[in-house]
Amino acid sequence: MTNLLSYTHFPVYSIMVLFLGAFLVVIAGKSKALRHIFAICAVTASLACLIALIKPVMIDGEVIAYWMGAREPAGGYAIGIALEVDALSLFFGLLIATAVFVSCCYSITYMRFDENVSQYYTLFLMLSGGVIGLVLSGDLFNMFIMVEILTFAAVALTAFRNKAHGALEAAFKYLVVGCIGSTCILAGTIMLYAQARTLNFAQLSAFIPGNFNTSTIIAFALLYIGFSTKAFIVPFHPLAADAHGAAPASISVLISGVLTKSGIYGIIRLTYFLFQSMALGKMQFLLVFIGSVSMFVCVTMALAQHDFKRLLAFHSISQIGYVLTACGLCTALGISAGLYHAMNHTLFKGLLFLAAGAVLQQTGTTDLNKLGGLSKRMPHTTVLFLIGAFSISGIPPFNGFASKWMVYQATYQKAVESGNIGFLFATIIALITSVLTLASFVKVSQSVFFGQLPEEYKDVKEVPFGMRFAMGIFAVLCIVTGLFRELVTHYLTEPAARAVFDVGKYINSMLGDGYASAVMGANAPVRTEVVFDMAGTWQPIHWLLLLCILLLAITLVALLGRYDTVSENKAALAEGKFDIFFGGEESVPSQVGGGDLFWGFKHNWRHYFSFMHDLHSGIVNDYALWAIVALALAMLYMLIVL
Amino acid sequence: MILFNYIASFFLIVLGFYCIVTKYNAVKTVIGLSIADYGVNLLIISIGFNPGGTAPIYTWGELNPSSFFVDPIPQALTLTSIVIGACTTAMSLALVIKLKESYGTLDTREIRRLNG
Amino acid sequence: MAIVYSSLVYLGYILIFPGFLFCFVAGMLITGIDRKIVAKMQKRVGPPILQPMYDFFKLMGKETIIPAAANKTVFLAAPIVGLAAMVVIQLFIPVISTPILYGTADLIVILYLLLIPALAEIYGGSASGSPYAGVGLSREMVTIIACELPLVLIFLSVAKTVGNAMGTGLCFSLSDIAAYQAANGSLMLKASMIPAAIAMLLVIPGETGNHPFDAAEAETEICEGMLAEYSGAPLGIYKLTHAIKTFTLTALFVALFLGGIGTGIVLLDALIEFAICVVLTIIFISLVHAVTARLKIEQLFKYYWTAVSAIALISLVLAWFGM
Repeated sequence: MTNLLSYTHFPVYSIMVLFLGAFLVVIAGKSKALRHIFAICAVTASLACLIALIKPVMIDGEVIAYWMGAREPAGGYAIGIALEVDALSLFFGLLIATAVFVSCCYSITYMRFDENVSQYYTLFLMLSGGVIGLVLSGDLFNMFIMVEILTFAAVALTAFRNKAHGALEAAFKYLVVGCIGSTCILAGTIMLYAQARTLNFAQLSAFIPGNFNTSTIIAFALLYIGFSTKAFIVPFHPLAADAHGAAPASISVLISGVLTKSGIYGIIRLTYFLFQSMALGKMQFLLVFIGSVSMFVCVTMALAQHDFKRLLAFHSISQIGYVLTACGLCTALGISAGLYHAMNHTLFKGLLFLAAGAVLQQTGTTDLNKLGGLSKRMPHTTVLFLIGAFSISGIPPFNGFASKWMVYQATYQKAVESGNIGFLFATIIALITSVLTLASFVKVSQSVFFGQLPEEYKDVKEVPFGMRFAMGIFAVLCIVTGLFRELVTHYLTEPAARAVFDVGKYINSMLGDGYASAVMGANAPVRTEVVFDMAGTWQPIHWLLLLCILLLAITLVALLGRYDTVSENKAALAEGKFDIFFGGEESVPSQVGGGDLFWGFKHNWRHYFSFMHDLHSGIVNDYALWAIVALALAMLYMLIVL
Repeated sequence: MILFNYIASFFLIVLGFYCIVTKYNAVKTVIGLSIADYGVNLLIISIGFNPGGTAPIYTWGELNPSSFFVDPIPQALTLTSIVIGACTTAMSLALVIKLKESYGTLDTREIRRLNG
Repeated sequence: MAIVYSSLVYLGYILIFPGFLFCFVAGMLITGIDRKIVAKMQKRVGPPILQPMYDFFKLMGKETIIPAAANKTVFLAAPIVGLAAMVVIQLFIPVISTPILYGTADLIVILYLLLIPALAEIYGGSASGSPYAGVGLSREMVTIIACELPLVLIFLSVAKTVGNAMGTGLCFSLSDIAAYQAANGSLMLKASMIPAAIAMLLVIPGETGNHPFDAAEAETEICEGMLAEYSGAPLGIYKLTHAIKTFTLTALFVALFLGGIGTGIVLLDALIEFAICVVLTIIFISLVHAVTARLKIEQLFKYYWTAVSAIALISLVLAWFGM
């Protein structure tokens, strides 16, 4: 009996506590306090277990291979169920656990008016357990099970507020296409099993790369499409928009920050580990192409939206496009940038969805054309929202800029090194997408938080402290990860990027030293020393220092001057001195609605926008057709390329 | 014989997908999902089948290198998969009932309030 | 002692040269010259060259009215943040070929820092609650999007050309670009960079919001858009930011394309830089201002995404094939 407190057991604990919590929440029954305590304890314990693994995995570079019930491989067959935690798994695990923790804190106050909250927490914890299980799993079939668990939980949670507009419809569409994806994963898994007679990830990684045949390649395409549906990348983005928009805000955080990450994790594992095909230019092209298309299509779709959460949902996928593009470059800098952006995406997207939830709860709507001027009523939410908006649009020194900056460097470097003009287009699309993102967040802030306050929202109050606290955690993390770029890359993303380029170690840690070279012979992956070269420099701290000194100086000068602030002069107020200028007429409420902004841009692109609007018809059969066509195309492409 | 299984499973999967794409009735969509799922289950079982093999039930003493039996792992996987398939069907039918209540129709062409 | 001395030098950089004071004087003078030249071209006498400075100090002493509908904090903070960011950009831009602060920011950072002053104006206008500001910020954002594509193409082609020549593949660092030009002569002399330089000159009036690209502020139709509700000191700060932006963008052009012509003496270089900036402003801002009528916003967008981007793209293609 080994020591149960040894850190090798922590991965399984971090999954177990969540499922245990899901169970206990039901047992707690009607007791609200007990239910909250169980939920919070479960997510905290899970997060703590994963944080405790940073030292051995991230810093010492250990790979934890854990056999459930100590059923270690016998006779070369890995029959037992395994967990394997390398730096990549842990990186995603930490992200997910953080998002789950904050979302749980938020839920306590956010869900206080809903019915059946105990089911909510059960599903919530199942979903979290499913995702953490997925990223820590070392077994392909286990991954499938976890995918199913998280899909079910996510579908049920999407439909949780089934009186809300479109919730049921979104859940149904998500279920149908999600099930096509799951079916693909299962079929792919079993086709690999037929070839290799094993389901263990490490063993498959050793066996498959040397034994490509039609069957394995079709399995690759199936698995790729399966994980794509989980990541919601093009052509599965409409589902994300529907599901994010309809789910409660705390669940949107999980769907966008966590489920998409699990899909990206699956794709990285698949392409870099299982098939080790990323050295091929054509495979890089596939990922970068899909990533760039996701980036651009989703950001333009977002510009056309007039629902706060739906807009955020499209942006979510647009940012996932950055992650996929960077991860598809197969350079150390690219992976590091992609993972950095994945982390930032979880933080700022979480923050934005929570802010949207706060607005929804206080006003009862998320329609951009109806809202306005909330910054006077909800000042804290406004500031938190702005931090998120600046982060996602890549304004220095927030975190979105740091990672996007790395993505640009990585794509352009790759373009120059490989001489492939496609990567140059990826760079340009990434840069343009960023400014379009900025545009749509200007739209949101103008039409929700600034501008004029409509009459019916005069009495709106700030949200309770619990919700602001949860948003505050994300906001602080957004700023910290933006300012200390070098610490983040050094302790989190670079170890993960090294793990991606060290497949041999992944295999050997699971199955014993020398296994990779024994099975794969000369083709065994060799550990290459990875370097993280940059073509430019960016010192956020330095910049911030400059900015602060200047801000201070200018503010001082401005205060010293004859700087009259508005006098609370009632007579002047009555005279209309403080009314806004309205062409000399008496002012009437006139808010420029969100749908009417950026006409000059939309007018030039009107054909594109109307085409895209017709294309996203909202009919589930169309989306299923896209999925199946994508599957067919992926199969064809891979059969030709591999 | 086993080839026939593969063809049948492929046929079932394609039939299921065809049903999902072309049928505009939400219940038929669910049926399509189930058919595709059964196709995959058949595939799993066929992969584990060894012609002439016995049932994979042995005690430690009986097991020797010459034992010839069907692969037990796919059978375990199929069981799991069938359970998951049943859950999918149950869940989607529950959603379909709710959809019918709130939209008054099962036609997927009319269930499209979220679009564009 | 050494620390005190170096921090004093540092403060000097930020507040005097090439920071705040230098920017202030240079920006105001350039704006004054611009106004004078436009007036001369239109057969008017025009204001004295120091008029923008007088305006600024006058505005600083005026009462600031904050509309009842406005969000006070954002309304007052936005101009200050915008100005500070504008001055910080100036710190990162080499004076002809002498970088002042090494290794703090590169081309892409500059691209994004340039957004902050515009963004400050957008948020300030947005916070004022004025419907004119709503229209104005919508147009300003479209102008930003319009200018972004040519700027991106220009910066990428510069990065590629310098990287090619230095053997590193690509180079985003401004100090390396300056060093390269100091050693090998201006980038303007390279055939592949001439289209990029032209495109950059065409982008400058759009970025600064000068006529005919001032749809966002069109006084005659939307009452200066985002500035409609501003008065007193904040308005003065916005005017100053505008003035500095003109100088910064022309200085950026000098640093990117005319780097090799410096003397190595920083103060002299600063004077030369200023002189070139004035010339560029006269030709590409004042002249254009005097002879054109305001474009509609969708025409502006189309112009930048087709004509100007195409010119910039030629440069990128040439740079890509190593010419």
